Amino acid sequence: MASVRFDNVTKKFGEFVAVHDFNLEIRDKEFLVLLGPSGCGKTTTMRMVAGLEEATSGDIYIDADRINDVLPKYRDVAMVFQSYALYPHLSVEDNIGYPLKIRKVPPEEYKRRITEVARRVELDTMLKRLPKELSGGQRQRVALARAIVRTPRVFLMDEPLSNLDAKLRTQMRAELKHLQHELQVTTIYVTHDQIEAMTLAHRVAVMNKGVIEQLGTPREIYNDPRTLFVAGFIGSPAMNLIPGEVKDGVFVSAGLRVGGAGHVSIPRAVLGVRPEDVHAASAEDPDVNLVAPIYSVELTGENTLVSLQLGGRLMTLRADKNFAGQIDQRVGVKVETDRMFLFDAETERRVDFQTNR
Amino acid sequence: MATIRTRSRRREMLLRLSAYLVILVALVLTLFPVYWIAANSFKFDIDIFAVPPEWLPRNPTLKHYEEAFIERPFLRYALNSLLVAAGTTIVSVAFGTMAGYALARFSYPWQWRKQVSFWILSTRMMPPIVSIIPLYLFFNYFEMLNTKSALIIAYTAFNLPFATWMMKSYFQDLPVELEEAAMVDGDTRWGAFLHVALPLARPGLAATAIFCLIISWNEFLLSLIITLTEQSQTLPIGIAGRVTQYKTHWGEISAAGFMACVPIVIFAFIVQKHLVRGLSLGAVKG
Repeated sequence: MASVRFDNVTKKFGEFVAVHDFNLEIRDKEFLVLLGPSGCGKTTTMRMVAGLEEATSGDIYIDADRINDVLPKYRDVAMVFQSYALYPHLSVEDNIGYPLKIRKVPPEEYKRRITEVARRVELDTMLKRLPKELSGGQRQRVALARAIVRTPRVFLMDEPLSNLDAKLRTQMRAELKHLQHELQVTTIYVTHDQIEAMTLAHRVAVMNKGVIEQLGTPREIYNDPRTLFVAGFIGSPAMNLIPGEVKDGVFVSAGLRVGGAGHVSIPRAVLGVRPEDVHAASAEDPDVNLVAPIYSVELTGENTLVSLQLGGRLMTLRADKNFAGQIDQRVGVKVETDRMFLFDAETERRVDFQTNR
Repeated sequence: MATIRTRSRRREMLLRLSAYLVILVALVLTLFPVYWIAANSFKFDIDIFAVPPEWLPRNPTLKHYEEAFIERPFLRYALNSLLVAAGTTIVSVAFGTMAGYALARFSYPWQWRKQVSFWILSTRMMPPIVSIIPLYLFFNYFEMLNTKSALIIAYTAFNLPFATWMMKSYFQDLPVELEEAAMVDGDTRWGAFLHVALPLARPGLAATAIFCLIISWNEFLLSLIITLTEQSQTLPIGIAGRVTQYKTHWGEISAAGFMACVPIVIFAFIVQKHLVRGLSLGAVKG
């Protein structure tokens, strides 16, 4: 078991800086998710741990060993690729057994471990098949089996679920989480899917443009976003971000006035509030923060997502599944003021908002 | 409605028919000379020039085969050809594969990948005959004239650029993650090349090998100048040698020429199944 540490790691491709001055410690047995949009440097970061990319500067450690100059084969990590990267000319059994064969594991143990792992991922009846004879989900399991057939110091997973259909993805997600808990192997998991990040991770590192925007538990990331980027990236549907101005502690935007108690003034500010912290009310209710016409109503089953026309943009709120409003009908909106976030649009950082909190 | 359907069906039939026609013409054009050589090799000299032509040998004979392979040293020439072609193919494919892999996979500073690749190909831009005098002097200096190794070296020099380029493009088509996976799984770069890239590049290896084999099996000009002895001359030289001052031995030429086709056809049959593409299907999900 092992911890992984990045010390001031920078990776450049020519002039392009993919990862910039990256510092992160992944603890022993931790499930850490690198989350971010495509091109944010998350995969590059992971590939540097695998030894498939070289850091331009900085140091990477697994436990106390500096691994910058260590060949991939000596790093003792296992990786699941987004494309699975199964060896097409080898059977399922030979694919899973490849890491063992390279390590010259004796035949009896080789057989035993393959049978064990195959049973675990429910592939024991297809060991003789070729990858092309398997479904997407089965291929994914082969890739997973190949990673867990030995006990590496670190698991690396590069969007392993992104090629599966929605139902299978949910199921595999749960299996992955259980597996990691059982095996207790330090895991770095790359994804752009925030649901995967929230559900799987012990800690999430939200990345953007080669740097970590925020590092924390899924709960922290969700409840306490530090930057505008994190606020907008995490949450589905996304947080409502309303541009406006803060004058003397009061946020003012077209049709909306939300007061606080402080005396800050920010000429360009963004107010963030999650759909579940906005509630629909009667347009006549005197306590509403604003009244706006309904733009669309979408029933998801457990909730109704209601979009309101607010100035030139839409505001989403999560209403009860029995919400009965119609398009173009005007409804009142109550915002939970203690669940709002205020960001400075210049620095994109969060500003303490003196509300009732 | 019905008329439209029949019309389009008729058009489809016509299209298919014309396609078959084109294929037929191509087949006749390419196969007729082979057939004619085969037919002539079994005819007596007098029948070869019969007017109207004798499409099938009326009095088949093995006389020319006896002349060529028993009385004259065509067996020796064939053996020389075989050794030279096999040697060239093995060396060209081995080095071409490794060079192609290096060009396809390794990273180079500046634009070296492009420059080096182009430089390798550029060696084929001049006609081989241009280099014959330097080559002759070179082999003369090293006392290698009239040796099969000289031919292998010369042919390899001309085959290697193509072999390198062909293998380079095959490796570039393979998903790089497969080798990366092998390396993370504990293999070295060399192991990943050997265990993963090479088996998947089998169609490329087969195509490259056929290409090199045909080129060196058929080569005439360099061999004509570098070799003068029976011990070193190849089939094309031997066959051309039967055009003598007083007589052109058409029968012998046909017999030897027909036999010369055989090894290539056999080899092509053997590697044919490896030429099938799409082995890497199922490796990565698109």
